[in-house]
Amino acid sequence: MASVTLSRITKVYHEHPVLDDISLEVAEGEFMILVGPSGCGKSTLLRMVAGLEEITDGEIRIGGQVVNHLPPRDREIAMVVQDYALYPHMTVAENMSFGLRLRRLPKDEIARRVDEAAGILQIQSLLGRTPRQLSGGQRQRVAIGRAIVRKPKVFLFDEPLSNLDAKLREEMRVEIAKLHQSLGATILYVTHDQVEAMTLGSRLAVMNGGLIQQAGAPAEVFSRPANHFVAGFIGSPTMNFIPGAAAGGGFQSPDLSFKLDGRNSVSGPVVLGVRPEGISVDKAAGEGWSEPVPAVIEVVELLGYKRNLYLKAGDQRLLAVADASFGGKPGDTVSMRFQLDGIHLFDKETKKRL
Amino acid sequence: MAERARAKNVLLHAALVAACIVSVYPMLRMIAVSLRPGDRLLSTDLSLIPAGASLAAYGRVLAETNFLLWLWNSLVITTVTSFIGVSLAATAGYAFSRFRFPGSKLGLTLLLGTQMIPAGMLLLPLFLMIMRLGLVNTYLGMIVAYSVTSLPFSIWILKGYYDTIPRSLEEAALVDGTTRFGAFYRIVLPLSTPALSIAFLFNFTQAWNEYLVARVVLCDASKYTWTLGLFELQGQFLTQWGMFAAGSFLVTIPVLLLFLYSSKWLVSGLTLGGVKG
Ligand SMILES: Nc1ncnc2c1ncn2[C@@H]1O[C@H](COP(=O)(O)OP(=O)(O)O)[C@@H](O)[C@H]1O
Ligand SMILES: [Mg+2]
Repeated sequence: MASVTLSRITKVYHEHPVLDDISLEVAEGEFMILVGPSGCGKSTLLRMVAGLEEITDGEIRIGGQVVNHLPPRDREIAMVVQDYALYPHMTVAENMSFGLRLRRLPKDEIARRVDEAAGILQIQSLLGRTPRQLSGGQRQRVAIGRAIVRKPKVFLFDEPLSNLDAKLREEMRVEIAKLHQSLGATILYVTHDQVEAMTLGSRLAVMNGGLIQQAGAPAEVFSRPANHFVAGFIGSPTMNFIPGAAAGGGFQSPDLSFKLDGRNSVSGPVVLGVRPEGISVDKAAGEGWSEPVPAVIEVVELLGYKRNLYLKAGDQRLLAVADASFGGKPGDTVSMRFQLDGIHLFDKETKKRL
Repeated sequence: MAERARAKNVLLHAALVAACIVSVYPMLRMIAVSLRPGDRLLSTDLSLIPAGASLAAYGRVLAETNFLLWLWNSLVITTVTSFIGVSLAATAGYAFSRFRFPGSKLGLTLLLGTQMIPAGMLLLPLFLMIMRLGLVNTYLGMIVAYSVTSLPFSIWILKGYYDTIPRSLEEAALVDGTTRFGAFYRIVLPLSTPALSIAFLFNFTQAWNEYLVARVVLCDASKYTWTLGLFELQGQFLTQWGMFAAGSFLVTIPVLLLFLYSSKWLVSGLTLGGVKG
């Protein structure tokens, strides 16, 4: 186990900047999630930690040691990637023991570690098979097993679950969480999946455009997004955004206006963000909620335990969430209220949280 | 629909059978000639096993000529050539497949270009090179000449095959603890046996059947390959057709065995299942 420190990492591909001045500290034993849209440089960053990609500028330390010029084999890391990358000409057992055999560990030690990992991942019965004879989920288990037996200082995961179907993904997600609890290992985990990002990590870093937009505990990033991008990226369904202006402790847009509490200091052009759960259509006046704003229901979706309501106030479209028992129909006019402490204001220019 | 598919099938098979006959016929004629008794070498008899068939020609080619020595010379030169040729092509093809370096594209194109030049035109420059290297009339000279002339084809075959092997396998190996060469040696090479076998067979058959280069490089009769040796049988006044045919049949045997042996390596599909999909 070791910490990972990224200091001012920059990556340029053929004069095309991909990562720009990334700094991030992953503590020993921490489960750190890197999340962001496709193409934002997550894999590139992870591969730089692994030593598979040159570092254009900056410094990477693993356990305090600068590893910039160390080849992957000397970094004591293990990596699990999206396409599994199992060696096709080796059995499962040979795949798992490959790294240990390279390091010339004693035979009985190798056998012990492979057995142990196979036990944890419940793949004992597969040890004699080749990768071709495995299902996708089994292959992913083997890939994880191959990482575990090495007892690396750091585990790197690059979207390990994205090739699995929804049910398997859920299963493996829980397994990976358990694995982290039992191994206590340092993990850097790349994903673009909301649920993995929110549930797996002890901390998450949201990336976009080659920058880390925000790093923090999942709950903190969710409840206090640092900017417009993070607010829109984290959370599902997505946050509603209403462009408008703040003045004199209130919010105004061409389509709606209401009083904000305790934000008299903010004024000027803003984007207001409110999550679907923060809009209510059947709430009586009450502490912590805004005055009513009229809106028309466009579409109602029943999701079992709740309903998605697609609303329109003037030209402004909004998504709200209501109980399954809510009886409104498309075309009905409703009074919506905003939960005041769930309202986020972002500067219209800088997109930063106000 | 089914009718048309059937007609197509029949036509296809007829064409294949015809092609087989055309390619097998000369071989059968050769066997037939080798079995004829001495007095009927020039007969126009078409039967595969001629009347009064005898193995006398085989006995004579083995006993009265240096056939076994020629065979041995060919075998040594061809085997060493094939191993050297494949080793060079395996590493060069890997570089062309995996690394971008100045001239990598141009290099590949030039290699292909060499294949467009008729072998005869290369004979003189090749001979001059071998002479300057002081390798005239040596096995080594032959081996150098043969292994480099087969290189372009072998490199292309191997480069093309490596291109189909996902890089993520080598990256996994690097992370697992191999060096760059280790990843090539332990992962890429074992997965490339089909292409390696094809390159080996190509090198082997090219060198085995070669005549022109051998003619100019080798002058000492004790170093003759079978191609040179058999042509010796073409006498000034009388060609020993029976012995010639018998020798020709015997030299196909090693190639035949090699093809049979390597067929198990030609089976592809090993890379399936290592990575997704
Ligand atoms: N080998 C490469 N050469 C050039 N550009 C690359 C290379 N690898 C990745 N990129 C570029 O770097 C950016 C980030 O890629 P990547 O790290 O794979 O993103 P992510 O994993 O977040 O989807 C992309 O714009 C991609 O086009
Ligand atoms: Mg990626």
